Amino acid sequence: MSTRIAVDIGGTFTDLVYFDEKTGATVQGKVSTVPSAPEQGVETAIQTFVPPEIIADAEYFLHGTTVGLNALLERRGATVGLITTDGFRDALEIRRGDRVEMYNLFWHQTKPLVPRRLRLEVPGRILADGTIEGAPTAEAVSSAVRTFAEHGVNSIAVSLINAYVDPQHEILVEKLLREAGFEGGITLSHRISGEYREYERTSTAVIDAFVRGRMANYLQRLDGKLRDLGFTGQSLITRSGGGSMTFSEAEERPFETIMSGPVGGAQGASEFAHLLGDEQIVTADVGGTSFDTSLILRGEPQILFEGEIDNMPIQSPWVDVRSIGAGGGSIAYADTGGFMRVGPQSAGADPGPACYAKGGTAPAVTDGAAYLGMLGPGELASGITLDIDAAKNAIAQVASAIDQPVEKAAAGILQIAATSMANAMREISVEQGLDPRGMTLLPFGGAGPMMGTLLADEMQMNRIVIPPYAGIFSAWGLLGADMVQSASQTLILPFDEACVEPVNRILTDLLTGIRARGESSDAAEPSLRLDVRYLGQEHTLSIPVALDGERLGEEIPIIAERFREEYARTFGATMNDGLELTSVRAQLKTPLPKRDLVPPKDASPASGVAEIEAYSFRDATRKPFRICPRDQLGDGMDGPLIVTETVTTTYVDSGWHIRPGTHGEMILERSA
Amino acid sequence: MSDQGILTHPAGQPRQPVTGTSDPITTEVVRHALNSAANQMKRALIRTAFSPIIYEVLDFAVAIYDRHLRMLSQAPSLPLFMGTLNYAVEEAVKGVGGEEAIDPGDVLIYNWSYGTGSHAQDVVIVVPAFHEDTLIGYTAIKGHWLDIAAKEPYCTDTVDIFQEGTVYPGLKLYRKGELNEDVYRIIMANTRMPKAVAGDMGAQVTGCRVGVERFQEVVARFGLETYQAAVEDMFDHGDTVIRSFFEKIPDGRYVGKGRMDSNGVTPGEVPFEIALEINGSDVRIDFSGVPEQQRGPINCPLPSTMSAARVAITMLAGYGEPPHEGHFRPIEVITREGTMFHPVSPAPCFIYGWPALQAIEIIYRALAEAMPDAVPASSGGCICACVWWGEKEDGSAWMDGAPHPVGQGAWKGGDGGTMLHIAESATRFTPVEVWETRNPWVVEHMRLAPDSGGPGEWRGGAGIDFRFRMLADTYATTVFERSEFPPWGLAGGGEGRANRCDLTIAGKETENISKATGVLIPKGERLDFITGGGGGYGNPADRPVEAVEDDLADGYITEDFARKHYPQRVAR
Repeated sequence: MSTRIAVDIGGTFTDLVYFDEKTGATVQGKVSTVPSAPEQGVETAIQTFVPPEIIADAEYFLHGTTVGLNALLERRGATVGLITTDGFRDALEIRRGDRVEMYNLFWHQTKPLVPRRLRLEVPGRILADGTIEGAPTAEAVSSAVRTFAEHGVNSIAVSLINAYVDPQHEILVEKLLREAGFEGGITLSHRISGEYREYERTSTAVIDAFVRGRMANYLQRLDGKLRDLGFTGQSLITRSGGGSMTFSEAEERPFETIMSGPVGGAQGASEFAHLLGDEQIVTADVGGTSFDTSLILRGEPQILFEGEIDNMPIQSPWVDVRSIGAGGGSIAYADTGGFMRVGPQSAGADPGPACYAKGGTAPAVTDGAAYLGMLGPGELASGITLDIDAAKNAIAQVASAIDQPVEKAAAGILQIAATSMANAMREISVEQGLDPRGMTLLPFGGAGPMMGTLLADEMQMNRIVIPPYAGIFSAWGLLGADMVQSASQTLILPFDEACVEPVNRILTDLLTGIRARGESSDAAEPSLRLDVRYLGQEHTLSIPVALDGERLGEEIPIIAERFREEYARTFGATMNDGLELTSVRAQLKTPLPKRDLVPPKDASPASGVAEIEAYSFRDATRKPFRICPRDQLGDGMDGPLIVTETVTTTYVDSGWHIRPGTHGEMILERSA
Repeated sequence: MSDQGILTHPAGQPRQPVTGTSDPITTEVVRHALNSAANQMKRALIRTAFSPIIYEVLDFAVAIYDRHLRMLSQAPSLPLFMGTLNYAVEEAVKGVGGEEAIDPGDVLIYNWSYGTGSHAQDVVIVVPAFHEDTLIGYTAIKGHWLDIAAKEPYCTDTVDIFQEGTVYPGLKLYRKGELNEDVYRIIMANTRMPKAVAGDMGAQVTGCRVGVERFQEVVARFGLETYQAAVEDMFDHGDTVIRSFFEKIPDGRYVGKGRMDSNGVTPGEVPFEIALEINGSDVRIDFSGVPEQQRGPINCPLPSTMSAARVAITMLAGYGEPPHEGHFRPIEVITREGTMFHPVSPAPCFIYGWPALQAIEIIYRALAEAMPDAVPASSGGCICACVWWGEKEDGSAWMDGAPHPVGQGAWKGGDGGTMLHIAESATRFTPVEVWETRNPWVVEHMRLAPDSGGPGEWRGGAGIDFRFRMLADTYATTVFERSEFPPWGLAGGGEGRANRCDLTIAGKETENISKATGVLIPKGERLDFITGGGGGYGNPADRPVEAVEDDLADGYITEDFARKHYPQRVAR
């Protein structure tokens, strides 16, 4: 165990949790995010909630941030030049030819991060079998450097065809770039990803080149502030693929952090699932603007190896968390045909829902909830007093547009939002061949516990677990993040005994490469996955494989059998065809010292009100809901009921029973 | 041309009487639930299918129909398959003896081209759904099977339907949940790839059964009467949404003219015209002016003609919503039996998809006459498909096939991009590095072609030049339409370049093989795909000089092209 501080920056709030080794206490807090200078929000949160002696004692600072993501989304990054193989500078713009909005005739591909004039070609070609036809020339590279200089390029990505087979031409280009006098950052695609697919690898390299400078600046500024506050431990940042990495490695490999926004929640869910022993969990993270859902199976989140941001692919592991634009801030409106729709437009943090009385006038999901009494009497822990009249006035607009009473419209806003969220959860489960009805729902995030029974009723699920720290659960999840580093290499071979040696050789190369980054400890544990598929198919499954030291520790037929079982589980069928290896994936993990989970000692807001007339969706009418602070649940209570605590509110509809669990969670089951 | 055989088809069926009531919120929740049911069918299909053409290319359609064969919901898949399944459900049910002959647990199979709208490889599975003892509708999936014993795995030169594969005229594959072994054995006996066919057929059955369960749950949850009332309200709403678009378009009859390069068997272009009549918010799409059915397989059966009309209209006017029957209601389609867009047996239909996607573009062309700012200019106008096969150096057999991107038409307010034709918008083409591990070839370049997009105030998207150098002898079947008929511009915008597929053999003249079956490309020789550019929109002289300069700096256009089409640059 060791003292540690976690800070997770969201779009609206910056959440903080720290764990104090001496007392075993876990303390939480929330401040507003400062979009223009996110590190200031971090500083404020630490100064507000963490005593100086804890800062001094802390061994780790764990950080979740969307700084890299925002730089990308808002196109605030470097002026990037791209060097490609002769004939392929347009791979970045041609993409895979798909239309992201399938039915939209007017859809246009996202403007590439590098305009065509800064995508320059060099001769030389390496074929898929390693045959070399020509090589990049000093003339071509120095001519490119001149063009780049004219355009103020300060970061260069190099992505050559089949560089995953043999990187020598990329390395040569880097050398020639330096010889030609280029002094800025250079990203070589094979260092980013050893996998094939030129568009995806090029896109990743370009993203890396684009965000690198900004990310490094931010991390250095933040680290400086932490040091000024007296922190002497190690600073870590969440990876998109789970776990964390040091700030200095993140400065070198910023693309690995881009999709880390919702990872804290999935990681926390995973840690908590291990405690619960529940096999199949679907998470429901309801925030202000988005709804994130993921599956936790046998205690583990699902990892995918190619993600996408703003229609730009990233070849990097990421935790499979699906987002839709539905949350507490989603706005209800009447469409052309006179139906009510909810979202994806959101009231956001500013002006926020009408009931926050910060100038918002459009009816948001939170307005519906406030009006219906789901949030209790109206004083939120964050200091906001709900303006129920403002909520009512906002809802009245959409109610009259669809010719329904306000009460009905308010309930409708919640129901329609819940329906979209439920659809997202059904899809992610059904894709894995799972029926959500037998699974456990784990709601968290500011509005998750409020939506829990509504979502479970919509999904016909029978068990809900509200975790401790539900309101800041993503930050809590960061506290348990181990340090992880990974690398992968495409290797296409028939999957038989003959691939043992090549796999071992590549595994050694990959681990050597990771260690050469200089950030791994001696305690780091290696692990291996092999991507395998049926011959002739495109779909691969990534199969975990045991190691013997740092060599393959299992027989190929045993791995093949595991593949077949996994395939049957995922796709519902097996085939007799031969298997093919496509990629080798290595990982080094340094576990952080374990911590105990101490349930929060919650000082619930003392409300003078013991009961409220709130809306029951099950009974389709208002009923008296008892209001109970979380620490006064006793052995459990039947709904209808509203449970209050510092950073969130749990709405328990009639038909549900709620009781405290043994790890600080609350368990909801259908009443007998 | 006589009026004989002219038929009028409402694209959407009318409202049915109901006893219950719904409200806008319940209806919206029912709509979500029905869409979710279709999406779950799709997930189950993808999850269990054997063939990449199902799980990667999404060459299928998934939909739920009510008892009156009205489409309740459909999962996104190949646009050209959208809204084709009502005919197949109707004919499959007829084939087994009508509604009375349907029992719970039955699974129907059907693939007669004139009822599915497709080539025979596109096989439809239909499963009925019941609420208590009442038939409430059907789930249906049409999926592309790799082989059902046509003369060749893929054909551009069939002369009748019987060369195109085995016919399943509406049979019970399962009776009350029991597999009909006789039917199953006939299916397995008539395919070159029984394992894949068995796997994909099983996946379609699974998908349909999942859909029936979900569909039945929706009805049970809301109760039959409320559900029915909600569905009628949902349809009315879709009808209103589409009509609100067409009300803005001036009444009149607008004609779009199209041409196919050839019918694949006899030489010579095949011109056709499609008229669009707007009357208030009613839309009539008239295919009666198209030629007689063709000797080659470019005949587009009625369900796909209907689909082309439905897709063209709902994509334009449906605000990106998942379509249902209500969206089709303002549309009426006119055809003449025995023609290219309403062929009758034994007309060959193998490459029906090419005329169908031309029809979508021609409908937009006609609409442009009425309201040019409502539609984009022509895209490259084809999916530029190539299916190829051969033996590698080590003697192993290989086969691959794909559509390729083209430039897209510009519209008022936007330059065209470069992507696959909208008829294939669910799909992606394969990366060069993956191709090169699978197939014996080297891609020498893949570049946006300068000057290939039409000039205009907004310019068309660039076409692509692909060059393949073969490392082993290869055979190719190509379908590149519109090689003679360049993409049109709108409102003064210029033409894009036309599609071409060029074979270059050392010592011989380069040959355009844009629609050819089984052509040999010897080892070391080259094949070039020259894919079309999009048409431009608006007078090129109105393009801002800065935008022209940007295009020049980025090499989308050359100096010569700029001088020719954008005089404003010199003027400055």
